Amino acid sequence: MSQPSPEVYEEGKGMDAHNKVMREVRSRNDASYDPREPTRVWLDEDNTPDWFVTSLTIILNTGGCRWARAGGCTMCGYVAESVDGGSVAHEDLMAQIDACLDHEAENADDPAQQIKIYTSGSFLDEREVPAETRQAIAETFGDRDRIVVESLPDFVDREKIREFTEQGLQTDVAIGLETATDRVRRDCVNKYFDFADFEAACAEASAVDGGAIKAYLLMKPPFLSEGEAVEDMKRSVRRCLDVEGCHTVSMNPCNVQNYTMVEDLYHDGGYRPPWLWSVAEVLEDTADVDGIVVSDPVGHGSDRGPHNCGDCDDRVQRAIKDFDERQDPSVFDQVSCECERTWEAVVERERSYSLPLAR
Amino acid sequence: MTDYFEVHERDGAARLAELRLDSPVTTPALVTDADRADDADGAGQGPDAAPEAGVAHPVLSDPGSGWATEPDAPEGDDSRLTILPARGFPAGTPDEVQDAFEPEYPDVDFPSAAVVSATTATDHGTDAYVLSGAHGLAGHARAFVDAMIGVREAIPPDTALYLPGVATPANVATLVYAGVDLVDADRAVVRGTQGRYLTVDGHQFLEDLDELPCACPACQQPREEFDREDCARHNVNALAAALKTVRRRIRDGRLRDYIEGQARHEQWLTATFRRLDQQYAYLEERTPILRQAEITAATEDTIRRVEIQRFAERVTSRYRNRFDNPLVLVPCSARKPYTDSQSHGQYHDAVQWRAHKVSMTSPIGVVPQELELTYPAQHYDSVVTGRWSANEIEFVANVLERYLERTDYPRVIAHVPEDYRPICERVEESLGTEFTYTVEDHPTTTDSLGNLASELSGELKYGKRERQHNTVRAIADYQFGDGAGDALFDDLTIRGSQPGLQAHDGDGNQLAVVVRPYGTLAFTLAGARRWVESDAPTKRVEIDDFVPHGSVLAPGIVDADESIRVGDEVVFEGPSAFAVGRAEMTGPEMARSSRGIAAHIRHVDERD
Repeated sequence: MSQPSPEVYEEGKGMDAHNKVMREVRSRNDASYDPREPTRVWLDEDNTPDWFVTSLTIILNTGGCRWARAGGCTMCGYVAESVDGGSVAHEDLMAQIDACLDHEAENADDPAQQIKIYTSGSFLDEREVPAETRQAIAETFGDRDRIVVESLPDFVDREKIREFTEQGLQTDVAIGLETATDRVRRDCVNKYFDFADFEAACAEASAVDGGAIKAYLLMKPPFLSEGEAVEDMKRSVRRCLDVEGCHTVSMNPCNVQNYTMVEDLYHDGGYRPPWLWSVAEVLEDTADVDGIVVSDPVGHGSDRGPHNCGDCDDRVQRAIKDFDERQDPSVFDQVSCECERTWEAVVERERSYSLPLAR
Repeated sequence: MTDYFEVHERDGAARLAELRLDSPVTTPALVTDADRADDADGAGQGPDAAPEAGVAHPVLSDPGSGWATEPDAPEGDDSRLTILPARGFPAGTPDEVQDAFEPEYPDVDFPSAAVVSATTATDHGTDAYVLSGAHGLAGHARAFVDAMIGVREAIPPDTALYLPGVATPANVATLVYAGVDLVDADRAVVRGTQGRYLTVDGHQFLEDLDELPCACPACQQPREEFDREDCARHNVNALAAALKTVRRRIRDGRLRDYIEGQARHEQWLTATFRRLDQQYAYLEERTPILRQAEITAATEDTIRRVEIQRFAERVTSRYRNRFDNPLVLVPCSARKPYTDSQSHGQYHDAVQWRAHKVSMTSPIGVVPQELELTYPAQHYDSVVTGRWSANEIEFVANVLERYLERTDYPRVIAHVPEDYRPICERVEESLGTEFTYTVEDHPTTTDSLGNLASELSGELKYGKRERQHNTVRAIADYQFGDGAGDALFDDLTIRGSQPGLQAHDGDGNQLAVVVRPYGTLAFTLAGARRWVESDAPTKRVEIDDFVPHGSVLAPGIVDADESIRVGDEVVFEGPSAFAVGRAEMTGPEMARSSRGIAAHIRHVDERD
C-alpha cells in the first residue's frame, strides 16, 4: 500500500481531516443488514471486448470496505449498506450467491454470459472474501464466459486471477481508480493509492492469460468545478487506456449518496452532480481512443444524480447508453437542448470558489 | 498591507472605493476575467463577445484552482487583479477539511486577491478577498449576514471583498449594503441562458414576457427576435445599471433609503437588511454620526436604522435637561428645523420661553428643543397620515418614557393632537404620572393655543443666556457623552446667535462653534485641549512624527480610539503636533488601514 505523500496536506493532514469527517458522517447511519442477502442484484447488458453481453450484476455484502471504515471516500455511501461488524462468514456469502442465482433463474431465460461482482470494497481482499469463498465462487460461475470482480489495486495478484482464468473465465478486475490525477484522487476523493499502483495492478493482471483491468472513473468529485471535472475525465480516460492491460474505462458521474461528505455539501448548496452534457462531452472527445469507454449515469435526471435542465435528461441519457453499445460519437449529434448554452456558461465560468453556478 | 485598494466614501457597511489598477476601477463594481475584454476583433459587441464584454471591467486574472492541479507560482501585473491559486471551499465544506487544506499565500508585489471562506477568513496581506461558497449564502439571510460580518471583521477594512457567482440586478444593492465591493456577471449570464429575465424587482420567465420592460441596448429589438443570448446581455446590463444606482446612493449617503424600498421585492433581501439591523454593532460602527442627506422615513424599518436608534439612545442616556420649567410636548412639523415651521411659531408665541419644548415624532422619538438642529433631527422626512402603526406607537412611547425617567420636570403639558394621545397615555400609565392636555380639536386652533398659554400663565420665562448655554451643553452631552456639557463648558460665554452659537471660555478664548448643517460642535485648538483635559470621554488618534495639514492619511496613524465614527470630532497627538479635526473613517479603520484619508484637520499646533 502506498503512503500518502509527505507534503503538507500534506503530512496526511488532508486525509486525516477527510477521514475524521467521513467517520462522523457515517456514524449517523444506524440501519442494519442481513448477512445472507446480497446488497443488490440485477440483470443488464454490457459492452466488453467480446462485444455486447448479458450480465448478472451482484453487489455482494461483505461487511464493506476497510478504507470506508477508516473514513474513506468522500462520495461513497455504499458502506452504509454493508453488514455491521465488518465480516461475513463463508456460509453467509455463499447464501448470498445462491440468492443471486435464484434471482437470475426467475428473471432470465438463459444464464448471463458475464458475472460482475462488486463488494463496495475489495473482492480480492481475503479479509473481506476468504480464499475458500473466492474459489467456490470461481467454480460456481465457471460455466460463464467472463467475470468482473471489484478490487483495490493492492490486492490484485496474478495467482488469485488464475483461480478464475483456470475455470475458463475471461477475468477483469474492476478498479475504482476514480481519476488518473493523483492530486484529485487524494484531495477530492480521499482515496489513498496512486496511479502508479493502478499501473502495477494492470501489469499484474495482464501477466495472466485472460486477465485484464477495467478502470472505473468518477466524474466530478466534490470541490472540482464543472470545467475542471470535464478536463480531469478527458485526461484520465486517455491515460488509463494507455496502460497495457486496461481495455475498458467506465466513467461514471458522481451522485449524491446518503451518509457522505458529498451529501453534506449538497445540502448546504456546495455540490451539484455533473451535467449529462459533461458526460457526453467526455465520451465524444475521447471516442478516438483504443479501448472501450462506457458510462452508466445512476439517478440521471434527479437532483441528486447527474442531470441537465429536466427537459432533455432522458434523451441525453439514451444517447449515452447508445454510445455505450456502439462507441459511435455521432449519437450525440442527435440530441440538443437550449440548456447546452447554460452548461457551456457553467463550464466556462464555474470556479471552485463559485460553484455551483446553476442547479 | 494594501497597495491597490482605497476607500473614498462610506455609507454604513457600503463603501465607494477605488481598485487602483493601471486603469482604476471605482467600486462597488462589476468585474470579469481579463480575457473577456471584448471579442476577437476588439469591438466588444460582436456576436462572439461575452455578454459582459464592454460592460464589466475585465480585470480579473485567475490562474486556476488548487484542487485539480498543483498551481504554478502566480504571476501578475498592475493591469489586473490576480486571484492567488487556492483550493476554494464550497458551501458546506467541513471545518476540519478547510483547516487541512487552508492555502498559504505568497507575498506578491502585484494586485492580488486571496480566496477565503466564511470560517477561514483572515488577513493574508492581499488587496482583495474572494469569498468562496457564496452560493450557500445567497438566499439565506442569516447565513449571509453571519458570513459577511465574520469576513468583514476578519479582513482589513481597506481591502476589497469579491462575492463571486451570485450577483443579480435584484440582490446587488443589498450585497453592497452588507459590505461587498466586487461582483461578477456569472449568475446573470447563466440565468439569461436559462431564459430568466432579471430586473431590479426580481425576475420573469422570458416566455411569459409579451414586452421587454427595459430600455437597455439588448432590449431594443422586436420581442420575437429576443433570444436567451440577448436575455443574458440584458441581465448583465441590468446588473451594471443597478450598480450605478448603488454607487450614486453611496455617494449621496442614501443607500439605506433605497434598500428599504428595493429590497422588498425579494423576501431574503428584506430579511437580510433586517437581520443586519439586529447586528447593531456592525452597522453602528460603520454609520456616520452626521450627513447632509435626508432620511426618507417611509417604511416601518426606518425606526431600526442606526441613525434613529443612535439618536434615541443618546437623548435618553446622554442628554441632560437643564431647564427648571415645565415640559411641553408638541407634535413635530414637516418643516425642519421645527422652529422654522408655522405651527411651532404658534406654539412658541403661546409658550414664550416659559416651558421646555420637546417634539414628539416618528421615527425619531423625542427631540428636545436644544437638539432640533442636531443630525438627524432636521434631516428626515416621514410620511404623515395621522394613523400610527403599533410599532411607531411603541417606539415613540418607549423613548418618551426613558426620556422622562432621566429628566425631572415639575409637570408635563401635552400639547398634542388626538393621534398622539395613545402614546402619551401609555407613558402616563407606565410612569404613574399625569399629563395636562391642552389641545382641543387641533394644536393650532385658537382655543388650543389659548389653553397652552393659560396653563403656563404663572411660569417664569427663562432668558436667552440660559437658553444658549443649555443648548451648547446639551449638544456636548449628545455628541461627546453623558456629563460632557458640564465637563467641557463650566465657565461659558456665548457669542454669535442661533444657530451659529460660539462657545467661549471665561477669558474670551473660543472653544467651539455649533455647525449649522449638522447641529454639532466643532472644536478650536483651545477647545480640543480642554476636551483632552476634561473628564469627558475624548476621541484620540495617535499620529507619527509629522505635522498634519489638510488631511491625515491612514499610514500616518499609530493608533486610534475604537469609538471613533465617521464625522466625529477627533484630537490628534504626535511627537510634532497637536491637532483637531473631523474623522473620515472609523477608529478601527484608522488603526488597521494602510491607505486612505483618515480625517480632515481643522486646526494644528506644532510642538517643539
